[in-house]
Amino acid sequence: MTIVHQRSPLELPSGEPLTPPKPLGVFSRPKATSGWKSWFTTVDHKKIGIMYGVASMLFFLVGGFEALLIRLQLAVPGNDLLSADLYNQVFTMHGLTMIFLVVMPLQSAFANYLLPLQIGARDVAFPRMNALSLWVWLLGAIFFNTSWLFGGGANGGWFAYAPNSGVAFTPGHGMDFYAVGLLIMGIGSTVSAINLTVTVFNMRTPGMSMMRMPVFTWMAFITQVLLVFALPVITVALFLLMFDRLFDASFFDVSKGGDPFLWEHLFWIFGHPEVYIMILPSFGIVSEVIPVFSRKPIFGYPFMVGSGIAIGFMGWGVWAHHMFASGMGPISVLAFSLATMFIAVPTGVKILNWMATMYGGRLRFTTAMLFSIALVAMFTIGGLSGVTHAVAPADTQQTDTYYIIAHFHYVLFGGALLGLFSGMYFWYPKMFGHFLNERLGKWHFWLMIIGFNATFGPMHMLGLQGMMRRTYTYTDGQGFNVWNLVATIGAFTLAVSILIFMYNVAHSYRKHKANPVDPGPDPWDARSLEWMIPSPTPEYNFAELVVVEEFDEFWHRKYGHDEEGRLVRIAKTEDVVQKPGATGIHLPSPSYWPLVLAVGLPLVGYGLIFNLWWAVPGALITIMGIFGWVMEPADDPDGGHEHHEDESPSDDPEAAAELTDGAESGEASDEETVAADAEQTEEAPVG
Amino acid sequence: MRNKRNATIALVLGTLACLVSGWLLLRGATSLETFPLNTLNPQGRKADIIYSLVVPVFAIAGLVFILVEVGVLWMAARFRRNHDDVEGVGEPVQVHGNTGLEIGWTIVPAVILAVVAVFNANAILQMDDTNADAIDVTVVGQQWWWEYRYDIDSDGTVDIITATQMVIPAGRDVKLAIQSRDVIHSFWIPALNGKMDAVPGRTHPLVIEAADPGIYEGQCTEFCGLSHGVMRMQVKALEPAAYDEWVQRMTTAPEQPTDEKALAGQEVFVQQCTSCHQINGLEPGAEAPYLYADLPNPNYGEDVGSTLLSQNAPNLTHLMMRDTFAGNLLDLYQGDSAVAVETTVGSAEAVPSGEPDTNNLKKWLRNPEDIKPMDPENNQGMPNLGLSEEQIDQLVAFLVTLK
Amino acid sequence: MADVAEIAHEEIEDVEFPDDSHATSTGISNPKLAMWVYLASDALLFGGLISTYLIYKNRPGEIPGLSGSPVRISELFDIPFTSMTTFILLMSSLTMVMSVTSAMRNDQVRMRLWLGTTALLGALFLGGQIYEFTVFVSEGLGYTSNVSSSAFYTLTGFHGVHVAVGILMLVAMLGMSLRQRIHAEAVEVIGLYWHFVDIVWVVIFTIVYLIP
Repeated sequence: MTIVHQRSPLELPSGEPLTPPKPLGVFSRPKATSGWKSWFTTVDHKKIGIMYGVASMLFFLVGGFEALLIRLQLAVPGNDLLSADLYNQVFTMHGLTMIFLVVMPLQSAFANYLLPLQIGARDVAFPRMNALSLWVWLLGAIFFNTSWLFGGGANGGWFAYAPNSGVAFTPGHGMDFYAVGLLIMGIGSTVSAINLTVTVFNMRTPGMSMMRMPVFTWMAFITQVLLVFALPVITVALFLLMFDRLFDASFFDVSKGGDPFLWEHLFWIFGHPEVYIMILPSFGIVSEVIPVFSRKPIFGYPFMVGSGIAIGFMGWGVWAHHMFASGMGPISVLAFSLATMFIAVPTGVKILNWMATMYGGRLRFTTAMLFSIALVAMFTIGGLSGVTHAVAPADTQQTDTYYIIAHFHYVLFGGALLGLFSGMYFWYPKMFGHFLNERLGKWHFWLMIIGFNATFGPMHMLGLQGMMRRTYTYTDGQGFNVWNLVATIGAFTLAVSILIFMYNVAHSYRKHKANPVDPGPDPWDARSLEWMIPSPTPEYNFAELVVVEEFDEFWHRKYGHDEEGRLVRIAKTEDVVQKPGATGIHLPSPSYWPLVLAVGLPLVGYGLIFNLWWAVPGALITIMGIFGWVMEPADDPDGGHEHHEDESPSDDPEAAAELTDGAESGEASDEETVAADAEQTEEAPVG
Repeated sequence: MRNKRNATIALVLGTLACLVSGWLLLRGATSLETFPLNTLNPQGRKADIIYSLVVPVFAIAGLVFILVEVGVLWMAARFRRNHDDVEGVGEPVQVHGNTGLEIGWTIVPAVILAVVAVFNANAILQMDDTNADAIDVTVVGQQWWWEYRYDIDSDGTVDIITATQMVIPAGRDVKLAIQSRDVIHSFWIPALNGKMDAVPGRTHPLVIEAADPGIYEGQCTEFCGLSHGVMRMQVKALEPAAYDEWVQRMTTAPEQPTDEKALAGQEVFVQQCTSCHQINGLEPGAEAPYLYADLPNPNYGEDVGSTLLSQNAPNLTHLMMRDTFAGNLLDLYQGDSAVAVETTVGSAEAVPSGEPDTNNLKKWLRNPEDIKPMDPENNQGMPNLGLSEEQIDQLVAFLVTLK
Repeated sequence: MADVAEIAHEEIEDVEFPDDSHATSTGISNPKLAMWVYLASDALLFGGLISTYLIYKNRPGEIPGLSGSPVRISELFDIPFTSMTTFILLMSSLTMVMSVTSAMRNDQVRMRLWLGTTALLGALFLGGQIYEFTVFVSEGLGYTSNVSSSAFYTLTGFHGVHVAVGILMLVAMLGMSLRQRIHAEAVEVIGLYWHFVDIVWVVIFTIVYLIP
């Protein structure tokens, strides 16, 4: 069996094994890999991915509730359900929640779960850092939401334009939580982005060249690279804001020479790539789903990848199109306007390639496929409205109106979220070992599409008729009554569709418990490596590493084509997929320290906001976490964490390896036989 | 066969649906009466430039929209797997791509966009052009109302300071110098031009022009805190002669009140209101008789040590020369509607006529925060002064003399 | 992990791999690659902070009527002193190289010696920076005096924190080397960080101190 050992940061991968020193007494590693406690110490990318997903769906309910409050307030003119102040908090928190607590972590969920599987790896490059990024993000997100308990949520808009976000104009702690909360979450995202970038670069299975990677892997990879470069920029901006608010600096105090434009530029240099960070993973998901249910390869793979890269690059040169009305001068407006128009080209290439993939295919309308097709249709609307305000003079009429709200909801809901829902239905059997109910799924889909269009479609009209954004009310005479009411009804339709989804999850789980049906490794007749392994994914992912010879490797092991180019089956799926029950695969041990380290950060955050002395315990916990992390043996030398299916755990790794050898000759087929390298079970040194 | 039939149905229905949604989108294009802030009914040459760009861009976008949406619907129907399809029979041809096609659908949109880009660039560079007879107005945004400053004789001193309703001559370019005294606001009169942010520490240019006399509704469009949603304004365009009359009235001090009640109100004003509000010539601590000045003090707020964050409150010298007050939320004169939202094209009068709406004034004075959310504890906006009904009566009697 | 060398798999025997494929797909180890990616990210952090300083450095003098101190922080610079501390930091890069070389030669004693020297030079630099800050503050330009001082302290403070973290890593490595043999690459990875911090300082010194 292949031996996987986790490298400590201080060890050379190609180096000869080092003599492991005795671990420092108290720092032994947790062993449990099942049971609820194991979720807190796990370093398994799949569990981490699932936790990202579950947590962000919970925040989705929070953000959705805030959205319903907004829609209720605006349902009729002159409504006083929410005060102006509360409304400002609710729309700010809605935006921030949906962006930083829902769409970004949901893409993290898929990226964490799928990137290693799709490149044929057993884990990410740094499993403990992966756990760290989850906990830092999650605790940061909870910290951020506790602002409701300390006098109210952030109320300066998600874009937090200075100087309105300063202490003079926005007293109270909402914007403090904004600055500190986003900084904490930014640490998590940066760690995660570095980790996944290295994973894609370095952990690919043999033969998995970059141009054989699935499109989702590509798009998620570009997303990580964008994060690596975009996050430091917002970090600078948030630090400046924090120093202004908490330590009396004057970066955005005009009377001391501060310049509000500095914030605008820093924010949007981050903020625009952020848009692609949210949308590209969904583009990747759709590029996986459509070929599978069309029984055709993705059309123009190199162009799909190339357009993704092009979007990633061009996304850096268009940030100031958020500032066409900011007064930056006609030359800047001209340059950014032209650059923005042409970013439509690679996006258009993607749309046309998806359509070309469907053309001539044999389409199966599973719920996943429906959501993907809906993305193509809905995102197109968002893209086209985007072109209409790439034209700067037109944008000066449309910006900061409901037209923009319609635009970015068609992009982020009609694009990102529909794609993510598609991915949920698609990969659900792989993640949990049972399907989501398709009938309920279709109810979910149709209600969501109707609700979505009823909510955000009318906002195009409202915007063109002059309804401005971020307004807590409107007046009867402004002509906004009808469409606002329609939008509110649509929003509640959306809410019902989400309830159906949640019911679907519960219902499918109950049915599965009552009558388990194994979906098999490859329930959709799919194409990429994750479908070669049992469902749900075994802890070790691949019983044996797959050697890749072409793009869509799994598909080509199942199918060839005749001289007309039509599909011909060459092998039974059962013969191609991997069998469950591999043994002796050594996996990275769980660890307490990521969680410990992460717990300290929100405490430091409270200290920064309320009283610096309170930061001391938080800092101590974090330092303890770092210390424990470094001193922790890279793996538990007592063993016991091998994936044992058939034999009792042995305390002696050498004996365990021998046992493994013996077990294999007995039950594993020739193809699966992998020599165990006993030497490798010796543990890596302390890192 | 069934698929082909369904595909045709999808084609027809899809096209219809797209056309209907397009019609819904543009249905309100002509109405400024129903939609006072309508962006699709330009009333001046700058707004015309934008509109002439919006129409073709929307047409192209609409065409692509129909092609893609109908294409997706058509394919979904045409290539749907049928129940009688068998694996291995009539399977799809495995097409991996087509370089020619890819290059084609990269270049064609790029060319279309390049053409649009030429018109776009042309429009951007035209936006700041002005004719020789342009006038200048300084626009100052603050939480949560707009101030307008006119230097009529171009001698460098401010001749008129007014608020909420800007008055301009129809048919002439007006060069706005947009500033802010606190946070970022955005000045937007949709019928006359696009938006321009008011950024503290900077002065931004914007040119507006109204072809015809009329009242054009506007709205602050950059989130500026608590009452951003109701930070409204108007532009009133007048015939040249009427505009001259307006200037004449605005640069001449209003007549002194004569009746008892109004004089008492003047007294209340000096004691209660002058620590923020300016009436040209009145100052805190002044003693009767109170004499008006023709010209405003441009630094009034700083001079009297106003505690507001923006250090400035509306100049009320010619309050009754405006049609609306309280950040354009309330009508000053009795009319058809209780609220002040309107865009009317065709006529406008230099001096509003009709009966003052004293109820609105009283409502405001009783508790301004009922009308417009403000945070006087943080020095943002007008506090509730706790005036007695008698004082309010007197104040209103005084205010309606300010014409 | 892509430890595929251990796989005895019939199908892959005739598949050709690059020599280093048994380590990682790119041949660069994970920690080293991660450090490169992190440094790329960090470069943008400093990019943002340097831009902030450049925008704000002259404002106290240039814009009339500002509240706050009218003195620009650059008027207080003591170039000879900062040149000296810059030189010290540059020398620490040299000693870092020596340390990596020793580690590669498996000379743990020399490696420790150079690690210690590097940390010491870093600490000297940091001491110089703290001294510089106290001088500026005593001359009346504190953190909140005006935008140029806020931007200056933030930029150089962030760099100082980077140096301090580097020193901690060096000392930690030194400590661990007393207990076990340290692999050359670990030293190399920390060296990457250390050189980056030095290069950033050269940029800061040039842009902030030398260019008027």
